[in-house]
Amino acid sequence: MSTITLTSSDGVDIAVERAVAERSVLIKNMLEDLGDSGEAIPIPNVNEAVLKKVIEWCDHHKNDPPSASDDDDNRRKTTDIDEWDQKFMQVDQEMLFEVILAANYLDIKALLDVGCKTVANMIKGKSPEEIRKTFNIQNDFTPEEEDQIRRENEWAEE
Amino acid sequence: MSASTVPVSSKAGDAAPVTDANHTPPTHNNEKSEELAELAKQNVAPFLTKYHPRQYAPLRSEDGTPVPRPINAGYCYRHQPDSKCNRRQADEQSMRSLQQELNSLPQDDQQGIAHVWSLFSAAPAKQRKLMLQGILAQCCFPQLSFISASVRELIRIDFLSALPPELSFKILRYLDTASLCRAAQVSHRWRMLADDDVVWHRMCEQHIRRKCNKCGWGLPLLDRKRLRESKREIELRATNWGNQSSADPTKGAPNETCSVVENPSTGSKRKVDTTTDDQDYGCEMIKRHCVSPAYRPEPDDEYYKTRYRPWKDVYRDRFVVGMNWKHRRCSVKVFRGHTDSVMCLQFEDNILMTGSYDATVKIWDMETHEELRTLRGHTAGVRCLQFDDTKLITGGLDCSIRVWNWRTGECISKYNGHSEAVIALHFDSTLLASASVDRTVKIWNFKDKSTFVLPHPEGVNGVKIDTASRTVLTACDDGAARLWDLDTKTCIRVFNNHIGAVQQVLPLPREIEIENHLEACENDHIGEGPVDILSPLLQHRTLASPPSMFGSSFDEDKDRLEPPRYIITSGVDATIRLWETSTGKCLRTFFGHLEGIWALSADTLRIASGGLDRMVKIWDPRIPTCQETYEGHSAAVNCIGLSDSRFITGGDDYHVRMYDFRAS
Repeated sequence: MSTITLTSSDGVDIAVERAVAERSVLIKNMLEDLGDSGEAIPIPNVNEAVLKKVIEWCDHHKNDPPSASDDDDNRRKTTDIDEWDQKFMQVDQEMLFEVILAANYLDIKALLDVGCKTVANMIKGKSPEEIRKTFNIQNDFTPEEEDQIRRENEWAEE
Repeated sequence: MSASTVPVSSKAGDAAPVTDANHTPPTHNNEKSEELAELAKQNVAPFLTKYHPRQYAPLRSEDGTPVPRPINAGYCYRHQPDSKCNRRQADEQSMRSLQQELNSLPQDDQQGIAHVWSLFSAAPAKQRKLMLQGILAQCCFPQLSFISASVRELIRIDFLSALPPELSFKILRYLDTASLCRAAQVSHRWRMLADDDVVWHRMCEQHIRRKCNKCGWGLPLLDRKRLRESKREIELRATNWGNQSSADPTKGAPNETCSVVENPSTGSKRKVDTTTDDQDYGCEMIKRHCVSPAYRPEPDDEYYKTRYRPWKDVYRDRFVVGMNWKHRRCSVKVFRGHTDSVMCLQFEDNILMTGSYDATVKIWDMETHEELRTLRGHTAGVRCLQFDDTKLITGGLDCSIRVWNWRTGECISKYNGHSEAVIALHFDSTLLASASVDRTVKIWNFKDKSTFVLPHPEGVNGVKIDTASRTVLTACDDGAARLWDLDTKTCIRVFNNHIGAVQQVLPLPREIEIENHLEACENDHIGEGPVDILSPLLQHRTLASPPSMFGSSFDEDKDRLEPPRYIITSGVDATIRLWETSTGKCLRTFFGHLEGIWALSADTLRIASGGLDRMVKIWDPRIPTCQETYEGHSAAVNCIGLSDSRFITGGDDYHVRMYDFRAS
C-alpha cells in the first residue's frame, strides 16, 4: 500500500494512502503524469483543515465503484444523500463552502455532488425570507420589484 | 453584490470601531491614564504601522502620489479584496449597540479595548489565528458558549453568489419547481441564476413528456427534439455564464410561431396524436397550417426576443397544464349536431372529426366550436375514421371504406373489401388496416395496390399498425388480442386473458417507462426479477443482439424495430390490461369501470378510457388505481381522443364533449 504526501496551502504535509488520494482525478492525473517520485504534491488552493476533511471523505469512499457518468442519466438525480455523507456534511457553512471548492478543484465528482446537494437541501422548501436568513443575504429588491417577482412566480405555489 | 469591491481598509475600519478621541467626550484625565495610553502607543503603534502602513504611516512617493497599498494579509486567501469575499459587514444595528456599550466604559478601558481591536484588525491571518488561540485558551465556559452561539450566527455564506456560476447552477439543478421559484425571489443575483435557461432547460428535460422520478409527475409533451438539440448549447452556457452577451442566440426556447413549423408539439396551438406518437406525420400537417416566419439573415435583439422564449416560460406553461390535469381544472365544451350515436373521433391541431351512426362525418373547429363541414356518403353508420393532412379514411356499417378530401368534402374513392361492417381502421404511411365483423383484418398497400387478409376466429373490433416493426395489433371478439408479423403474415403473439370480447388494442409509446412494477402485478410471474428498464427498446437490432423473441424475421433486417414493448387492451369485461409484448404476459389489470370499455387512448403520461357506464377514467399506466373519473355523457361513451392538454369523447347521447386543461 503506497503512501504519498500532500502539502496544503498553509504548508502542512499530510500523508495519504495513494488509493485514497486518487479519488481526486487531479491528483490521479498528476501521479500518472509525473510518476510517484516520492516528493510531496502541493495543493495550493486547499488549507490543512479542508484538505483533511476531504481526505476523510475519500478514505471512507475509497472502495466505491467509479460513478457512472450521471449526466446522461440526469433523470435519476435526487437530493438524497447517504447517511454517512449527511453526517460528514454537518459542518459550518464556511467548511461546506471550502469543501465544495476543494472538491471542484481536486475534481472529486461524487464529493462535489454531495456538497451541492447539501446546499440544495438547505434551500429546499424555504420561503425567500427564510433563504435570505439561512445564507445572510440582503434583500436588494424594492418593495415594488419584490411584489412583481412574487406574482411572476406564483404559478409554482400549488 | 460581491463585497470584493469594498476596499479592505474601510472594511477593517467598520469592523473595528476605533474610538476617536475627538468624538469622545473627555473624561477626567489623570496621570495614570496618560501613562497607560503612552505605554499602549509605544507597544501598539509599531505593530499597526507594520501591518496597516497606509492608515498609520501613509507612504508617499516623492511626488506625493500614494504608492500601491500592499495586500492586507488580515484576510484569508479567499477574502482578499481582489477575490470574492462574501463575509457581510457587521450590520449597523449591532455596531451601534457595540458603540454604545463601549461609550459607557471609562476612557481608559475604551482605549485599551480599541487597541486590542486595532491590533487584531491590522494583523495578518497567521497572527490573527494566534491571537484567537490565546483568547480562546483564556476563556471560561460561559464565554466559549457565547462564542459558539455567536459564531453559528456569523458563518453564513451566500453560496450562490460566492461560488463560480457553474457550481451555483449545479446546486440549483437539484431543486424542485417551487424551490426554484422561491430562490428567484431572494435577491437580484439569485434571480439571475435561478431564472436562467441553464436551470430550466434541465427542468424541461426532466419533466416534459415523461414522469420525473424525482417528483413523480410529468409535464405534457413538448418539443423533445428541440430539447435535445439545445442541450449542448445549454451546457456551454453554464460554463461561460456571465461572459455572454444578452443577445446570445442560444438563449431561450423556440417560441411557438416558429417552432411549430419544425415540430408539432410545442405551444398552445399544438396538436398531438398521442396514440400513434408519430411526430413526422404531425409535422407535415402543421406545415400547411402555419406560414414559416421569414428568416432574417441579420439577427437583431428584437428577432431573438420574439423567436426564443425563456425555458422557464416554456416550463411554466406546461406546468400549469399539468396542474390543471391534477386538480381537474378544465373547461368543458359540448359539440352538438349529430343525430345518432357518435362512434369515432380524432383531433389534430384545431380540427376535430367525428363519425356517427347518423351516417355522417362532421368536421369541427375546436377553437371556435363551429361545425365546418358535414361529409355525407356512407349509407349506414360510420364506425371508424382517421385523417391526416390531406385525406380522411372512414369505414362503416355499410361495409365500405371511403377516402375523402376533407378540405373540399369530396369522396375520392370507395372500397368494398369486406362482407360485413367495418369496425376499425388504421393507416400509417403506405399501409391501411381495416377490421371487420366478417372476421378478417385486411391490409391494403397504397403503393402497389396489393391486399391480404389476416383471418380471425370471430369479428374484429380494433386494429393498429406499427410501421417501424412492420407489425399489426388486433382486438377480437374471441377474447384475444393478437400481434401479427406483416412480413410473414402470421400471428406471433396472442394476448389471452380478457373475459369476452376485446374492444380496443393500442401500443403504448415506445419511450414510456414502466419500471419495476412487478411487485404490484397480480399475475403469476412475481419473482422473475425486475423488468430490465434499460433494455434498448428504441435501438435497432444489431448482429450482436440476441435472437429476437418475435421470430427470426426480426433478426434478418437490422432496420426493423422490435414491436412496441407494451400494449394495452380494453374489453367488455370492464377491465383494461397492460401487456408485455415480448413475453405475451399481462403485467397489470386496471379495474374501475363498471361495464364494457369501448373507448381507449393513451400517451406517455396517461391512459384515458370510456364505456358503457358513461364514465371517462384517467389512469397512470404505472399505477393500478384510477386517477380521475369524469362524468358528463348521459349514455355510453363510444370513443375518446387524448392529447397532452385535452380529451374529447363521443357518446350514445349524440354529443361530443371536449375537456380542455389548457390555461384559460
